[in-house]
Amino acid sequence: MALTVINNIFRILFLILLQNLVVNRMQPLDGLILPWIYIFGILMLPFETPRWLTLLISFAVGWIMDFFSGPPGLHTSACLLLGFLQPLIQRLFSPREGYEINQRPTVQSMGLPWYLTYAGILTLIHHTWLFFMEVLRFSDFFYQLLHIVLSVAATLFLMTIGQYLIYTSKNSDQ
Amino acid sequence: MRNILNLIQRYYVFLLFLTLQGFALYVFFNNNNYARAEFINHSRDWVGSIYSKRTQLKEYLMLGEINDRLSLENAILRSKLPENVMVVDTSSFEMRDTLAFQRYIYRNAKVENITLNRERNYIMLNRGTIGGIEPEMGVISNGSIVGIVRSVSEHFSVVMPILHSKFQGSVKMKGSGDFGLLVWPGGDPEIANVKEIPKHVKVEIGDTVVTTGYSSKFPANIMVGFVESLDDRAEENFHRISIRLSTDFRKLDYVQVIDDLLKEEEDKLLEETEAADGANGN
Repeated sequence: MALTVINNIFRILFLILLQNLVVNRMQPLDGLILPWIYIFGILMLPFETPRWLTLLISFAVGWIMDFFSGPPGLHTSACLLLGFLQPLIQRLFSPREGYEINQRPTVQSMGLPWYLTYAGILTLIHHTWLFFMEVLRFSDFFYQLLHIVLSVAATLFLMTIGQYLIYTSKNSDQ
Repeated sequence: MRNILNLIQRYYVFLLFLTLQGFALYVFFNNNNYARAEFINHSRDWVGSIYSKRTQLKEYLMLGEINDRLSLENAILRSKLPENVMVVDTSSFEMRDTLAFQRYIYRNAKVENITLNRERNYIMLNRGTIGGIEPEMGVISNGSIVGIVRSVSEHFSVVMPILHSKFQGSVKMKGSGDFGLLVWPGGDPEIANVKEIPKHVKVEIGDTVVTTGYSSKFPANIMVGFVESLDDRAEENFHRISIRLSTDFRKLDYVQVIDDLLKEEEDKLLEETEAADGANGN
């Protein structure tokens, strides 16, 4: 339990640093593709996490992200939406008898189709919210649409590949 | 009241979400310049230190590339130093006079490289075809003989000096005018031999040896050296003369290359005569 908490905290902090120090520096096609992989930390929260905790963690993650980039409140808002919907999406796609105690929201544990549906929907919602809050400020609509689609694809790709690279079936239960 | 509490208990997650989201949106939309500046000022302090660490790391990782660039720049700058630039020297002095027709002109050149300790030594000069040097030209230094140009490139020429086993020069005793052949026996770069001076010619130690001017490579009376010693043998008809060369090859620095303006005319005349003789002989 304690190990799970520590694991998640470090994962979230690592992803935020990775996002800001590495990913944000590589902007293919002049920033047309901008994956926000830090949400992986929220998507990886265990199934049994209380909803209020998911919300607070999302708030904290978004707040820290806003420290690094973007106008204040931007990532906070998008992350809160993500943190609010994440348990609902999990419930929506849950097996009939509910999640088992050792199951985690990973490709290894739940299978690729489940993961792509789960992560795909949440990533799309998060990115759309994030990008349209930015659109209020600049840029044109169709470019943003393409921006969203490509960025969601990139984020999904990176998160999925990352799991294959990092998590073996042995340690996927943390 | 109980109903309200029930409602809160039931929807507390949604209410929490609304509260936090409301706060986030409030921050976002009330983000006027002042608030934005405050927010940025507070956050950038420690975020900035993380970013500067990242920059330091990046600088460290790029050291190799930076080194390559610097070393290339060094090479470029070094190649611009005056020592590395060769000015093509085409100057030569020529006197124009309708009565006194000039036959030889001199071009100066600097010694680039010289060998002394071999049997066949060479001298490289920093002047080539662009500078007017051609093969078979004579080379002197401070009025004394050095050698003959063997081969020439655009910017350089190679001289066969006296200090070469194949070198042969026509010389004469300054006093008597008897001529002999200058050769180098090898070894000491200051000593050469003069052959083929018959024994009836009186040669004293200290006599001056100069060029004859018979070959078109050198004008007459260019200094060669002084008689150092006589090592005559009873069974031979010629003197064995060792001379001390007046050119100090160890300190050779600047030389003059001699251009014979009449060389072609002379060669052509000789060729024609020989051809005519050959025809008559047949």
